[in-house]
Amino acid sequence: MNYPVWDLTFIGGGSLIALISIVHVYIAHLAVGGGLFLWLADLKAHRDNSIPLNDYLRRYNWFFLLVSMVFGGVTGVGIWFIIGLVCPAATSALIHTFVFVWAAEWVCFLGEIVALLVYHYYFDALDRKHRLIVAFMYFVFAWLSLFFINGILSFMLSSGSWTETGGVLRAFFNPTFAPSLFFRSCAAFMLAGLFGYVTTVFSEENDFRGHMMRYCTKWLLYPMIGLILSGAWYYAAVPADARYTSFFVNPEMAVYVRILVASTVLIFTGGLAISLRSEARIQKAITAALVAIGLFWMGGFEYVREISRKPWVIDRYMYSTSILKSDEARLNAEGALRNAKWSAVRNVNGGNAFDAGREIFRLQCQGCHTIGGIKNDILPRTAHFTRLGLLAQLTGQGMAKRYMPPFIGDAAEKDALITYILQGLHQRRPNAQSASSVITPLKNEPVPAFNANVDSYVLLCWNDLGMRLVTDCDRWFSISPPANTLGAMLVKRGVSPEIVTDGVTLTYRIESGHENPSRHSRFWDFCQSLFGAKPAANTGLTGNGLSGNFIYNEKSSSFVAESIPVLPYGDSGAYNPYPVCTIEARDTTTGKLLMATKAVAPVSTEMGCRNCHGGGWRWNNYSGISDDTATSILEMHDRSNGTSLLARAKRGRPALCQNCHADPALTAKGDGKRLNLSAAIHGLHAPYMPRRGAENCVLCHPAGAKGATRFARGVHRQAGIDCVHCHGAMDGHAASLLNAEKGKHAAAGLLAGIQRSGSLATTDVAPRVPWQQEPDCLTCHVNFEKPAESPSAFNRWTSDASELYRTRTDNIGIRCEACHNSPHAEYPAVNPYSARRDSLQPLQYGKAPYPIAANRGCAVCHRENKTESMHHDNMLRMMRRTVKF
Amino acid sequence: MDVIALLPVPEAIPAPRHVFEALDIAGFVVHLIFINIVVGGVFIALASRLRDRGFTTGGGAHGPAINSIPTALALGINFGVAPLLFTQLLYGHLLYTSSVLMAVFWILVIPLLLIGYYCAYIYTHNDATSPRLSFIALCTLAIILLYIPFIFVNNMTLMLHPEKWTGYFSNRGGTMLNLSDSTIIPRYLHFLAASVAVAGLFSALIWRRRAANGAPSASHNIAGGLRIYAAGTVVQMCAGAWLLLSLPRDIMIQFLGANAAYTAILALGIIAAFASLVTALRARPAPTAGLLCGVIVLMAVSRANLRTAYLAPFFSTGNLAVTPQYGAAILFFAVFAAGITAITYMLKMTSPKTGRA
Repeated sequence: MNYPVWDLTFIGGGSLIALISIVHVYIAHLAVGGGLFLWLADLKAHRDNSIPLNDYLRRYNWFFLLVSMVFGGVTGVGIWFIIGLVCPAATSALIHTFVFVWAAEWVCFLGEIVALLVYHYYFDALDRKHRLIVAFMYFVFAWLSLFFINGILSFMLSSGSWTETGGVLRAFFNPTFAPSLFFRSCAAFMLAGLFGYVTTVFSEENDFRGHMMRYCTKWLLYPMIGLILSGAWYYAAVPADARYTSFFVNPEMAVYVRILVASTVLIFTGGLAISLRSEARIQKAITAALVAIGLFWMGGFEYVREISRKPWVIDRYMYSTSILKSDEARLNAEGALRNAKWSAVRNVNGGNAFDAGREIFRLQCQGCHTIGGIKNDILPRTAHFTRLGLLAQLTGQGMAKRYMPPFIGDAAEKDALITYILQGLHQRRPNAQSASSVITPLKNEPVPAFNANVDSYVLLCWNDLGMRLVTDCDRWFSISPPANTLGAMLVKRGVSPEIVTDGVTLTYRIESGHENPSRHSRFWDFCQSLFGAKPAANTGLTGNGLSGNFIYNEKSSSFVAESIPVLPYGDSGAYNPYPVCTIEARDTTTGKLLMATKAVAPVSTEMGCRNCHGGGWRWNNYSGISDDTATSILEMHDRSNGTSLLARAKRGRPALCQNCHADPALTAKGDGKRLNLSAAIHGLHAPYMPRRGAENCVLCHPAGAKGATRFARGVHRQAGIDCVHCHGAMDGHAASLLNAEKGKHAAAGLLAGIQRSGSLATTDVAPRVPWQQEPDCLTCHVNFEKPAESPSAFNRWTSDASELYRTRTDNIGIRCEACHNSPHAEYPAVNPYSARRDSLQPLQYGKAPYPIAANRGCAVCHRENKTESMHHDNMLRMMRRTVKF
Repeated sequence: MDVIALLPVPEAIPAPRHVFEALDIAGFVVHLIFINIVVGGVFIALASRLRDRGFTTGGGAHGPAINSIPTALALGINFGVAPLLFTQLLYGHLLYTSSVLMAVFWILVIPLLLIGYYCAYIYTHNDATSPRLSFIALCTLAIILLYIPFIFVNNMTLMLHPEKWTGYFSNRGGTMLNLSDSTIIPRYLHFLAASVAVAGLFSALIWRRRAANGAPSASHNIAGGLRIYAAGTVVQMCAGAWLLLSLPRDIMIQFLGANAAYTAILALGIIAAFASLVTALRARPAPTAGLLCGVIVLMAVSRANLRTAYLAPFFSTGNLAVTPQYGAAILFFAVFAAGITAITYMLKMTSPKTGRA
């Protein structure tokens, strides 16, 4: 905000800093360790009275001078140059905080140089005692340089209480100061051994070379013990949130940790190998390799440290965007550009969004991201995103994945940045994406016949969920297979009606045109990889087809036809998420038709992933996850979690998400380590939700008023009750799921990223297991009465699955869904495709779209009116809400 | 565009500004002396190589001084760090800005300095054995040493001119320079001439020390070195006058009487320079060196005064907030005292009179 930004769109400023810093730090550590090596080796030379060692030290010192003083000295100044160019604000903050420390370090730098020059130019002239004193002083000065710089570097990672209390010494002796100092000191001694090889290996005298190589090996290997111990201490001292964010969330970290670990192992192995093989040729080769590996080791460590610091450049003081934490709220309110001294655009107006976006990108993105460049290229990271997706990214940035700093600025600036990314970086036309689907109404389904005077049976049928969501991108992954489950009950009418459970056969048959879902889906091609099963085409995972028999289920006291593989794709090409099933009940012995009815088998493939992740619809530009959308999701999952799901899918072996993520909906146990699927998906996405209330829900779930499914069609919708009234807004909804997963480390991390809009803190939201603990109808409908004004069922969950609406029965064993229909389609339901499609049974038995036997219609089953609320309290009354088709 | 709005907001400093201004100037003076020896030494070496087309090696009479180039460079870089630190502290908001505007040229200083540094070693260590290699190294070093001060002069002047910073909005790639500034060439010449002069004097001082040990032709070489000093000083005086005249009028007159302190310090510097010219031409290196030290200090202060005068319309270090850091200040001065003691101890070891060498 304070300084101009050097446009380095290809190479990136961070890479330039890394390039100079890593080579400098490599040599600078050598300068420290080499100092001790020099002193102790000189001591040894005197003690052993060894002329070869004395000669060696003369050579070593010359090499040392050229490497540490020349290369180390100039690259050290180079760091100042480059950080001043790339991060002037942070450099300025550090200089103004630590100028005296840096000045003290400069004194040490001067002492180092003088000592080294004296040692070099007076090597033979000085007597033994004084030469050793000079060598020792060199080491002391070099180590003190490390001591001082270490305080500043470790402060950037862990500022401790400095942000609250101030005080430069408190900043200097910060929480990671001591472990970092030990670690770096050990590293310095190790590198002294490594570079000792370089100066030894060219020695022609075999005995001396062998002796010195073994000496250097001790230098190389012994400090490794200290390195590992201090490394663990260092890791533990990193602030907890930074540790979690860096090592468990930031995908960038993994590669550098691997480099660090692998290079440590290789250095250890190399050290052992070089002491076991005495041939000069082999020792030279190993030495050369070790020098290169050492550089990787140094780079790996420095990158791990740098990444641990994200999103800060100075812990909890300045973001890596060079914006002060203390300015964040003000800039969000006033706008960032207005406060950016070096922006050509100060206010976003209608005509300058592109230019304003470019300036914001330069100020807030370019510090870490290149454009088509060598590191953190922004292009692939944003290629798939839609405008909404980018809005979501900027909304949640820095919350779930806290290694990125938050977007800072007002809404217009956020929009301008999106415009620049879409139009400037990806050359997309404005408003290229359509926002709504036009649904083609279906003809009214005939109401099945029922003659109250003649018919002896009432057949009730329902879908268990109200809407079955099917992933339909089985070529890539699956969350939810085609598996629609119908329940049914047969009641024998009479003054004392009887629930019929045996002696009858119940069958179902999907409506014409939906019998061949395998023509429209690749579920059956990849079922083996996804589910470990290979059902025949048009057959579901339990063996049910598009027509078949119900089986009586004691546990649910109803007939069940489980996992019918219905899809919303008609053979005609029409999208119909509400195909109608015909259900018939026959006497098993005689085959006589007792009663027939109809019920929808609601199914949708309208998962809204594409709203943010980009890509079109898979099926007739109407619904289903397209290849582009699916691959974009897998890419992100792979990048964030270190998986290789995309590659696996490309090899023809797509995965079921529930293989890792438990999910009661599929009775999947997952791997036990990761969050359950609902907690993972809602927890991860919650911070990114760019809208408010139920508008967020419908971005993913097919309940949007302009979508192709519009599954919320029950009485609640007509009463103005939306998703949030029962399930809570996304933040609370996600918090409830994450709170039930508290034992898993990802849960705490995701919880911390959620900002609650409600009064309860995230951690106070009642935990719940998905699919088993859901909103309880009786929270609002106390004693089956009319709810109070502004009802909310949020945060009072059913204690387990037995209390769910979809599993419960009334006082005498009739399932709630039998009379009131599926959740989200409660009678009177108004179907968006043809109004009475969801109400065929009430119309059949009661000539009205209300719940079965509503409006005192007890005679449907009882053949007479009743005066007692036998099934549940307060049932003998007229419907409050009326619907006309 | 309101150029004042471009000025970054400076941060508080941890002690009164005079502390840092004094440290800044002190460090800069020592830095300058070492760098003058390096730059001047290289051009003297180059001249001695080219003088008789025979590629004479060894630097001739000035060989001893030339052989000190790598050491002088090491110390020059080290003493450059101190003023760089304090300049960042006092003027960082200006220096960072101008550096970013010319970032490409600025960062190139580092790899070129590295190459130059190694060239210095290649030259001094191979002069006798590989004249061609050493000559190539010398030429490379000379070119680099022409480049670096030119970039420094550009940056140190660009930081004084916020009105030129608006060029950033048409060039964000860091390739701006301050070539339109009329003071650039005289400043640059002033530095180069001073370098030759100081290196000449340095050579004379070395021969003076050798003369004490009875080295042959010492007095001849002392006179030669001082002649170089004199010539460099005369050129430097001309460049200095040019620089003075090329300053904006309102600033120039401050050094010509309008500001008594500025005028007095500059005048003293010029008088001392003339005096050193006299002593040099009388072949008296020690008084010349003494006077030169005075000249450099006075000119460094004048340089700081010039910067203050340029910045006066929009910035003064006097306006910087001060947030004292007593503990850290004590730490620094303690380390400084201990460091200087240790360094003195080591240097004493090398003295043939008092040391162990």
